[in-house]
Amino acid sequence: MNLIDINSAQEALTLLFSQPQYWLVVIPGIMIGLFFGATPGLQTSMAMAIFLPMTLYMDFLQAMLFLTAIFTGGGFGAGVPAILMNIPGTSSAIATAFDGYPMAKQGKHNEALGLALGSSTFGVLLGYVLLFFLIKPMSMFVLKLGPSEMFIVILWGLTLIASLTGEYVIKGLIAGLFGLLVGTVGFSEAGVMRGTMDIELLADGIPAIPAMMGMFAASELFKLVKSEFLVEDEAKRKVRISQILVGFKQAFAYPVILIRGSIIGVLIGAVPGVGSSVSNLLSYIETKRRDKDPDSYGKGNPKGVVASEAANSTSEAGSMATLLALGIPGGGATAVMLAAFAMHNITGGPQFIREEMDIVYAIIFANFGQVFLLIILGLLLIPVLASIIKVKMTYLVPSVLVLAVCGAFGLTGNMSGPITVLVFAMIGWVFRRYNYSVPAAVIGMLLGSMAESSLVQTLQISGGDITYLFERPITLVIMTLLLFSLFGTKLIKRFTKKA
Amino acid sequence: MTFSKDRIANSIVILCLATFVLWYAYDAHNASSSLENMILILPVAAVTLCLCVYDFFTSKEDTAEEKKKKESFTTVMPVMILFTLYVLTLEYLGFDIGTVLFLALFLFLHGETRWTWILGYSLVFGFIIAYFFSLMLPYPMPMMVFPTDY
Repeated sequence: MNLIDINSAQEALTLLFSQPQYWLVVIPGIMIGLFFGATPGLQTSMAMAIFLPMTLYMDFLQAMLFLTAIFTGGGFGAGVPAILMNIPGTSSAIATAFDGYPMAKQGKHNEALGLALGSSTFGVLLGYVLLFFLIKPMSMFVLKLGPSEMFIVILWGLTLIASLTGEYVIKGLIAGLFGLLVGTVGFSEAGVMRGTMDIELLADGIPAIPAMMGMFAASELFKLVKSEFLVEDEAKRKVRISQILVGFKQAFAYPVILIRGSIIGVLIGAVPGVGSSVSNLLSYIETKRRDKDPDSYGKGNPKGVVASEAANSTSEAGSMATLLALGIPGGGATAVMLAAFAMHNITGGPQFIREEMDIVYAIIFANFGQVFLLIILGLLLIPVLASIIKVKMTYLVPSVLVLAVCGAFGLTGNMSGPITVLVFAMIGWVFRRYNYSVPAAVIGMLLGSMAESSLVQTLQISGGDITYLFERPITLVIMTLLLFSLFGTKLIKRFTKKA
Repeated sequence: MTFSKDRIANSIVILCLATFVLWYAYDAHNASSSLENMILILPVAAVTLCLCVYDFFTSKEDTAEEKKKKESFTTVMPVMILFTLYVLTLEYLGFDIGTVLFLALFLFLHGETRWTWILGYSLVFGFIIAYFFSLMLPYPMPMMVFPTDY
């Protein structure tokens, strides 16, 4: 099988550079994405949906460039509030907050934002390079993935709970398992309603992102209410482009973490329904597990930010692979893109790849260009976004609480969002106060319903026969990788010691 | 044998978590005892309960240094109460007036004495945020001053 179609690649380049109007939509697209991503509660998919009608006035390629530019900008933007306010704008930036926010509290907000920008741009670039070479085999691979493979991937994510427990292992595990149970509230895969107390708004489950906002951000803000500034030392409060650039360059000092995160991102990103929400966690856990000093994670280790951002930004390319090659949207953003496909009477899938390869390549090449535009726009806009560090806590705390509440309403469309923020802010505060790991609880919550769905589907397909797993080679490969990532290093060390 | 306030509070937290887990497992079982329904909930609930029992009897008290790091209830309670009132009254006061009042009260309670700043910031920030979200979101928001279909 030819991996690259040279003729189509040439046509794509001619198409992109003969008509400059294609590039005109990229800059506003990235800026819209950055703005929506950086505003807690406003999602990248929401920005894409809002601006979708505008694409009616564009041709298909221009529409796709505009939407992918929003996607790219939003991917990086979501990390900004995670670092500065401990609010992961989306579930794909959870792991960014683990070390990004402690860095900001230490006055290293400039470096943290630079690290995020460097890793994000690298991730997007590598993701699209991989997409360029592997779009055909990847689409075949994704078709072979079933619920059992997804369950093993989710199980891999769940092992993160155990590594986030900190000093209080038992309490951390309780928090993670509590999160898992909370994540299954509402209608189950089998159509049974549990734990809703007959509250209709809970039928679809507890809204995960508002709950995450409450647990991470609001509970932390309650704690900070008596501080004067987020960073107490005035000298460290300055926003400096030079330090942002230092952070940007520092990201490339960890090539293994960047590449590992990007590969995890592109592979997991291609799995529909899992995507960047899980890839950032997997990349983080693998980086932490392999590090000589795992205890430094969660306390402001720059490698944590790099691992998370490299994976979540690469997931964009992974989800684009599924969309272009199979016509299956992996998440909200690609679902909006699918709507754009329909608006232009185009159907994604193997036929689209076969007949419109020049368009596919043009989208990929344009994303290479978007990476450089993201660097420029990111460097220009980060100083504005980072100025938040100079705001007094008396003003910052209520303002962020208001943003979280409005954003939560935006996510659910009713009062269940703000009420979820309130309830989980209190639970989060109690958890923090009595040493229960908040990140472990949030991860449990996020993965609970995914784990249950894939487990039930595996049970239904296999008819309860465990040997079914051994008939699935990809499941076995992923399981082996999981076991190796958990115990491989220890075993190798033991063997080398004996030798 | 004497127990400190923190130890008692910690025990109450564990009891609350264990009660939730028991109630949830019972509720799920009542809804349907099928394998599909309990496949994840039952084992997770069982393990959580065991861990809660273990933690109840073995958890240690915080050191003096750890206690020092923790904020006092008297600092946090007013904020929590104000935030609760803000969220619960949003449907009646709307996102515009509710937000302005929340911001103004928060600033006042946290030592801001300049009335011009209190009024200026809460009015400008509150109205801009409420208006911005009402423009951006595809569904109506509760409002008192701004027009809405809620």
